[in-house]
Amino acid sequence: MAYEYHRSGSLEEALVLAAGDDSALIAGGTDLLVALRKRKRPAPRHMVSIRSLPELAEVSEQAGSLHIGAGVPMADVLANTVVREHLPALTAALAVIGSRQIRNVATLGGNLCNASPAADSAPPLLVYEATLELAGSSGRREIAISDFFLGPGRTVLRPGEIMTAIRVPLPGAGAQSAFLRRSRVAMDLATASLAAAYTARDGKLINLRLAAGAVAPTPLRLRRTEAFLEGKPVAEETLAEAAEIARSEVAPISDLRGSEWYRRELIGVFLSRALRPRSTRMKGSA
Amino acid sequence: MKTLLRFQLNGREVAFEAPPHARLLDVLRDIAGLTGTKEGCGEGECGACTVLVDGRALNSCLFPALEADGRSVVTVEGLASREGGLSELQQAFVDEGGAQCGFCTPGMVMSAAALLAENHSPSDDEIREALVGNLCRCTGYTQIIASIRAAGERIGKAATQ
Repeated sequence: MAYEYHRSGSLEEALVLAAGDDSALIAGGTDLLVALRKRKRPAPRHMVSIRSLPELAEVSEQAGSLHIGAGVPMADVLANTVVREHLPALTAALAVIGSRQIRNVATLGGNLCNASPAADSAPPLLVYEATLELAGSSGRREIAISDFFLGPGRTVLRPGEIMTAIRVPLPGAGAQSAFLRRSRVAMDLATASLAAAYTARDGKLINLRLAAGAVAPTPLRLRRTEAFLEGKPVAEETLAEAAEIARSEVAPISDLRGSEWYRRELIGVFLSRALRPRSTRMKGSA
Repeated sequence: MKTLLRFQLNGREVAFEAPPHARLLDVLRDIAGLTGTKEGCGEGECGACTVLVDGRALNSCLFPALEADGRSVVTVEGLASREGGLSELQQAFVDEGGAQCGFCTPGMVMSAAALLAENHSPSDDEIREALVGNLCRCTGYTQIIASIRAAGERIGKAATQ
C-alpha cells in the first residue's frame, strides 16, 4: 500500500488532486481502507483526503429542503433534529449502520459513493427523492438519486468528480415514512431492506414511494409496486397482491446472508409491515 | 516519504514522523509506545483499537495517522491520572469484574468514556447500543455493562456533591 496521502485544504484543491492519474478519494475511509487491506481493490498512487473539508461539512435547511454536506459523518446526520423530526426512515437507517465508532467517521456521501447494493442510507434517500450535488473540474451538476447507481460499486460519478451534498426535500404535513431491515446480527450488512414514504388520505395511499436495498445490483425504487398501490385503500388482499409484485420486481442473489427466495420473501413482509395501518413501526432491525 | 505529524496525545503535545499509509493505531503502539490500544480485527468490527479523537470514539485501525495532525487523541492510558491513579470508569471495571482476558477492555473503556461524557446515567439499553462496535469473547458483557452503570453512578454522585 505505497500511496501518497494528500490532505486537501479546499474543495478546489481536492478537485485538482482528484483529477490526477491513479488517485482515489477518501473521506471517512471506513469502506476504502478495509477494501485495500483485504486487497479487494488495488492501492492508488495518490490518496486524496476530503475529510473535514468545510465545503462538505454543512447541514442547513434551505427552501423546504435539508442540505446535508456529503462529508458530514453519519453520527452528526443522525443527531440532527430536522432529520429526526422529518425523516424517520433515514433516521432508522442511520441508527443501524455500523457502530458508533464507524458512524463518527463514515460520511453520508461515502455511503452513497461506495455504491454497495446494501447501503442502508440509499433506500430512504430514494423514497425522499433526494438530489445529489456533484462537483468536477469542468463544473457542477445535480442528479436525482434514482439515476446515481449503476451497479455494485459503480455510479455515474466521473473520474475526479466529488459529491458535495445531498439535498432532501422535507416531507409535507401528514407524510409518513418507515425503514425496515433484516440482518443476521448487529453490525452486519442488511440481508434486505425496504423504505416507504406516503401520505394516507381517507385510508388511501397517496404519493407512495418504495425503495429496496440488498435485493438487486443497486438500491432500487419499486415503481411497478408503487403504481399498483397508488390511490388504493390499504386492504389485506391489496397488500398481498402488492407484495407479489414487489417480490417479482426485485432481483436478489443468494449469498451467505440469505437466499434469493428468502430475500424476496423479506421484501413482501416488509411491504405489508410498512403500509398496514397502525402497524408497529420497526426502528432498526425488523 | 514520511510526514511530520503534530497532535495532542493524552493532553501532551507530541510530534512523530509517519509514513502515508500508517494508521493511527500504528503510531500509537509502535511509535508512541502506548500499547494499551489493541489491534483485534484490523477492519473496524471488534473495537479493540477504539480511541477518542476530538472527543469522539473511533476505530484507530481505520484512521489514517496523518489525519490526527492538529487533533486531540486520548487513549486508555490518558484516562488515568499522571500519577497512575485509575479513573472512576477504570476503577469500576476492576471492582465489577468487567475484564477477563482483558484484550477488549481498553476499547470497551474508551467507548464507555465517550458515552459517559455525554450521558452520566445511561440505561442498560443505551450502554448496549454504545458498545455495538466492541466485541468481548469472554464475559458475556454482563459485568461490562454493570461496570459502566456503576461508573456512571459514581461520576454522577461526584458531580452533584
